[in-house]
Amino acid sequence: MAGAFGFKGCQKIRGAQIRGLLEAKDFFLFDCDGVIWHGENAITGAAKVVNALIRSGKNVVFVTNNSTRPRENYVNKFTRLGFTDVMLDQIFSSSYCSALYLRDVVKVRGQVFVIGCEGLRMELLEAGIPCVEETDDPDATIYNCALAPDVKAVLVGHDDKLTFLKLAKASCYLRDPECLFLATDNDPWHPLSGGRILPGSGSLTAALEVASGRKATVIGKPSRFMFECISSQFKGVDPAQCLMVGDRLETDMLFGSNCGLDTMLTLTGVSQIEEAQEYRNSDLTTNHSYVPDYVVDTIADFLPAFEDMEEQND
Amino acid sequence: MSCQMSRSKCARLSGALVEQLLDSVDSVLFDCDGVIWRGDQAIAGASEVINLLKEHGKKVFFVTNNSTKTRKMYADKMSSLGFNVTADEVFGTAYCCAVFLKTVCRLEGKVYLMGSNAMKQELEAVGVQQVGVGPDHVSGQQTDWANVPLDPEVKAVVVGFDEHFSYMKLNRAMQYLVQKDCLFVGTNRDTRLPLEGGKAVPGTGCLLQAVETAAQRQAQTVGKPNHFMFDCLAAQFGVERERCLMVGDRLDTDILLGSNCGLKTLLTLTGVSTVAEAEAHRDSGSAERQGMVPDYYVESIADLLPALQG
Repeated sequence: MAGAFGFKGCQKIRGAQIRGLLEAKDFFLFDCDGVIWHGENAITGAAKVVNALIRSGKNVVFVTNNSTRPRENYVNKFTRLGFTDVMLDQIFSSSYCSALYLRDVVKVRGQVFVIGCEGLRMELLEAGIPCVEETDDPDATIYNCALAPDVKAVLVGHDDKLTFLKLAKASCYLRDPECLFLATDNDPWHPLSGGRILPGSGSLTAALEVASGRKATVIGKPSRFMFECISSQFKGVDPAQCLMVGDRLETDMLFGSNCGLDTMLTLTGVSQIEEAQEYRNSDLTTNHSYVPDYVVDTIADFLPAFEDMEEQND
Repeated sequence: MSCQMSRSKCARLSGALVEQLLDSVDSVLFDCDGVIWRGDQAIAGASEVINLLKEHGKKVFFVTNNSTKTRKMYADKMSSLGFNVTADEVFGTAYCCAVFLKTVCRLEGKVYLMGSNAMKQELEAVGVQQVGVGPDHVSGQQTDWANVPLDPEVKAVVVGFDEHFSYMKLNRAMQYLVQKDCLFVGTNRDTRLPLEGGKAVPGTGCLLQAVETAAQRQAQTVGKPNHFMFDCLAAQFGVERERCLMVGDRLDTDILLGSNCGLKTLLTLTGVSTVAEAEAHRDSGSAERQGMVPDYYVESIADLLPALQG
């Protein structure tokens, strides 16, 4: 029940408060980077928490803007890092959902020009969506390159092989107002461990928005679409039963807010509690959507609640 | 004789008005792309206009946001197309950016350059070393990219048009800009360079936006409509604003620069902007948009010829 605990407005919760929350909710949505792992290192206690939630009969899904891997790779990573009970159909990445959007919402007929990694292309191909082949020879320029016919959508994701030519081709395709403009996500930068960052899909999308004079439709958080994918797959999900757990105010908390979910910020990732407090104290009501309902230092803070529950069951 | 020239009326320039306008100015500033040439083709009559203006005793300058050529390269291109021009009459953003870094920023140290060889040359001509120009692709793992070695002498990131733009270059620029004392300068924000045959090349504005988004910082820009390029010209040639005419094809760069600097403005229709767009600004009721309304327009600068030949 939303707000039943009276701790809205980024209050840290622990112990019995967490236990109450775990009992009240039956659908848990977790972001990945900065929430359950940092790169190749699971956050201490995270695997135990996730496994315990699943074993106690809760629905657990993972909602990530990271578009670089196909879902099969994610399953392998989960297993490698100790999250043994996670299955393919619990994973919702922005690349998978972009494929669903093109296949089921747009019902695209024609090719898609992809600016993205192999992982993104694989999800599209698996969904039966034809992608324009990248066959430029090294000397090709926008002046002499061939443009593919029948391109019905341009999809931008994280692309470490981005070149000027790709940007130029994409902006040519986008001159056709019938050609859709999609982005896996808008994150301006991604964190790596050790406080380092890398440019995100958002920066590539921004370049293309300037080139084309058009705004991209964003598939990933904070847009609602990934929640619609989840709801569709689970045959209807009641937002009131959900808890969205994430580390980034501008993506995870806003996503939760946009979908009517209760939200929890964990402090093992990007956003600091001070930033959340600033949004809460802001005069702009739109900023309040970034404010989490609950805050924990780490999702490992859920563990005592399970131990209590186990004791109770003995 | 000083005529009462109406300001920002967007009137068609023809007949006797042409001579009146030309008599009221001593200097004429021309944009290049879409005004005197398109790609490598001169606009018909353009060279005669420039050469006749000079014969009539007018000073002629070129003010372009295009950062892919040095002043000398521009002068060479102009000579090959029949324009009598010397390099010091050309103010391109490669040159002006170098001047900006040296004289306004007082840069001591190197530049990480996302830009052309021309920009490299103009920087070196004012004594500024750069790193980064040319192709640069990713190799290794994500952690390698996040930990690229940063040259400690780099004190500024400079972004101009770069055909070698890549994720790796975007990454390096962003890594330098994480350092708060690193300067951030862009040549211009033009969104695209129009080409023949319906293709368009993404402009520097796109690359700049990518870097600004990743770094979550705004660059200072040197090019039109910022007044720096005019200041640069005025400092070297002592021109009087009221006796200058700015001729361009883009309302949001050329005409706006002219308005910002108190120059007379003439839109030519051989490039990007249309009369309808100019009129929409004029009739918008927005004070901010009035700067993009030219005093006059012509179909092509060749329309100035009768007054110059007579």
